[in-house]
Amino acid sequence: MNHPAPNYDRKPWVMHYGQNIAQDLPPPRQAHLAELIREASGRYADQIAFTTCMPNGMHGSLTYAQVAQQSDAFAVYLREVLGLQAGARVAVQTPNCLAYPVAAFGIFKAGCVLVNTNPLYTPVEMEHQFKDAGVEALVIVDMFANKAEQLLARTAIKQVIVAQVPQFFSAIPRGVIRLVMKYWNKALPDLVVPHVRLEAALAQGAAALQAKRIDVAAYTHGLGHDSLAALMYTGGTTGVAKGAMLSHGNLLANMDQALAMGRSHIVEGRECVLTALPLYHIFAFTFNLLCFYSIGARNVLAPNPRPIQNLQRAFDNYPITWVSGVNTLFNALLNEEWFTAYPPRSLKASVAGGAALQHAIAQRWQRVTGTMISEGYGLTESSPVVSFNSMTGSPKPDSIGIPVPGTDVRLVDDEGQAVPVGEAGELIVRGPQVMQGYWNRPDETAKTIKEGWLYTGDIAVMDSDGSFRIVDRKKDVILVSGFNVYPNEVEDVIAAMDEVLEVGVIGVLDARSGEAVRAYVVPLVEGLTEEAVREHCRKSLTDYKLPKTIEFRRELPKSPVGKILRKDLRAEYKLKNAA
Amino acid sequence: MLTELETRLLGVMMMVIMLGMGASLTFKDFRIAFKKPQGILVGLLCQYGIMPFLGYLMAVVLGLPPALAIGLILMASMPGGTTSNIFTYFSKGALALSIMMTICSTLIAVAMVPLLLEFYSGLKGLPSEYTVPAGNVAQVLVVLIVPTLIGIFVRKWNPNVGATVELIGGALGIFVILFLILTWVPRNHVLLATTAWYVYFAAIGLGLVGMLLGYLLARGLRQDTRRARTIALETGIQNGPLAILIVLLTFKDEMQQQVLLIPVLYSLFIVLTSSVVTVWFRRISTREELARDRAKVSTGPVPTLA
Repeated sequence: MNHPAPNYDRKPWVMHYGQNIAQDLPPPRQAHLAELIREASGRYADQIAFTTCMPNGMHGSLTYAQVAQQSDAFAVYLREVLGLQAGARVAVQTPNCLAYPVAAFGIFKAGCVLVNTNPLYTPVEMEHQFKDAGVEALVIVDMFANKAEQLLARTAIKQVIVAQVPQFFSAIPRGVIRLVMKYWNKALPDLVVPHVRLEAALAQGAAALQAKRIDVAAYTHGLGHDSLAALMYTGGTTGVAKGAMLSHGNLLANMDQALAMGRSHIVEGRECVLTALPLYHIFAFTFNLLCFYSIGARNVLAPNPRPIQNLQRAFDNYPITWVSGVNTLFNALLNEEWFTAYPPRSLKASVAGGAALQHAIAQRWQRVTGTMISEGYGLTESSPVVSFNSMTGSPKPDSIGIPVPGTDVRLVDDEGQAVPVGEAGELIVRGPQVMQGYWNRPDETAKTIKEGWLYTGDIAVMDSDGSFRIVDRKKDVILVSGFNVYPNEVEDVIAAMDEVLEVGVIGVLDARSGEAVRAYVVPLVEGLTEEAVREHCRKSLTDYKLPKTIEFRRELPKSPVGKILRKDLRAEYKLKNAA
Repeated sequence: MLTELETRLLGVMMMVIMLGMGASLTFKDFRIAFKKPQGILVGLLCQYGIMPFLGYLMAVVLGLPPALAIGLILMASMPGGTTSNIFTYFSKGALALSIMMTICSTLIAVAMVPLLLEFYSGLKGLPSEYTVPAGNVAQVLVVLIVPTLIGIFVRKWNPNVGATVELIGGALGIFVILFLILTWVPRNHVLLATTAWYVYFAAIGLGLVGMLLGYLLARGLRQDTRRARTIALETGIQNGPLAILIVLLTFKDEMQQQVLLIPVLYSLFIVLTSSVVTVWFRRISTREELARDRAKVSTGPVPTLA
């Protein structure tokens, strides 16, 4: 190495900030999220905060004042009716719908801790997460509520609160949607799990609020930047899902950081953001929900963006100014004639995250809509935003941009020494958005956060202008459509089959999902089929974790101590597919 | 045949259905249809090029007696029927294109239908003087255009009401189709039992072969698969009631009954065949939708419509 390592402390990327982006940000003004929510609710009281837009255009909305009122009621319900204490964990497991912000904000206002949960999780995955987090109450969408029944007894959950996708819609559209869901889609089972309906819970909360003359703000007295706000489950390095502890300060700071990058394209009180990514995912959670609520935007929630046609009414009926998405979402939109023929005129900017944005898609988007997609980079452990492309300069292809204000980034080698410009090193991050650690896992935390630096496990290169590129992942994590899949987890499930001797799982490039799960299985018996393996996996794994391709073989490459060598499998696959 | 009351009731239901169809559309959809006028032109070519020739050819090949031949050629020369829009809607086709094709083919029917009939009847040495009742054509247009426009406005005014109207229109559409299918056998068993095989062949074949040829021609003229399916349905589905009306106005007595046979049979069977085709098309549309969703990014030029 002839070149000296750059002085990362001098932040060579700052020159890109220009006049629009503050170099340093003061600590967040608000003490906690409840305060931020309350401020925005007051400032924009009569404006529409959230609209759920169904694929057929049916919709329901809540104003900022209504969100404030309903989330107050929910906070009181949690504290007074259920008797939860401050800091109690409450899980929310719904697709994008009006119930989500009411529940999430209510949890913050109650001084409780939000545990975001993917509604498509299997009971096994749910049980692990709820037990690990010590969840005491669960808000779950009616479609999937019965999944909670079998695991209730084994968790600390006191109450299941059932929400609906058309929650808070007016009576007729809600009735029509529920009829269609029940009898046409057969998606609404009769509930066997003991539960209370969200509207009943809110009524009880509102009644208690009145009767006891409760000052909801008092629930959060004493909370500060260091108080825990949310547990965001992620697999990390080892594959066991663990909860990243995001504090109020983490989330508030990251909001400020993300907003600093986007300010040039934001008019407070006038934006309309399309939320097609799930709110339980950290990207949409911080970016769409928190950032855009704080600036008085209207948030158009799409419960299900698949097929992409489902978003047509949202674009038709609302003046969308911002879109957040992943590569696959932008790609799908660009394949639709209704979108390319009449791209939304109101659109100002879009942001991409979750997975690498393909250069071709970014270019095409620019040509079709006349606006840019700014690609960012982040991870659950950093609330999530670490870097973004500047929205005023021209975007750099395949770049994750520059660190957001107040963030230190370094690239280091295995010894923790900074690497020179243009060389690959592990990206490490320090800043106010870096999580407090993993919930109840000090060992894992110590491995991930060292001397205040978060080790991302991603290998990146810094260009001479201070912008970054991700070149590889240190970990074996497989990234399927923006979701992490942990080979260990998939291997464990497959290995549990009686017919399987051993198994190795790797990620391979996939045109559709970025990466796809590929399993190498050594069967114990003749005649084991791919379908049988997949069928078995379906019982305990969510769809995106299922192996897309399976190869049966007699043995797997192993290290001297018998560890299956995934890197050899990957190399072999690459060699075969390069030929 | 349906009674007078049923016909009227059906007319009202048709308007409600079209209201629902309209509520599923925006003006953008029509602008897209207009910006690609090839679709409409190809559709018209199928409608007035392929279909009448197909009718003539079948009449010759099957050696139909004159009265039946007239009925078949007349049926084949009709503009598109409004039911084609319902089937297009259910098959997830390009509804705006379908409606535009129906409107255009109906508009020019006043001039086109007599010309075609004169030409093909002349070829076959048949009487060739027909009147196309302009009032009736206007009625078709009103039933089509007015509710569709109202539907579009309703949806623009309030998406909740729009979506509800669309669902009601759709449900009524299914109801009408089921009603027609389920009641026609008991109503018409005598007629069905006494009809010769080649008449069946002509009545059923006209619609099916028309769809097939319409699809192939549309694909040949570079229409995408979704538009080609829409054009296929539009081509195969003719305005049966209009043909029946023209026969009633033009012919008398025994001759009238004979000429009517194929238009009546066609109208009965087209509901059945279109339903089957629609279910099939719908599956293909759904599959294509998902495939598009997952498709790799195209590196070719952006499809601009300007």
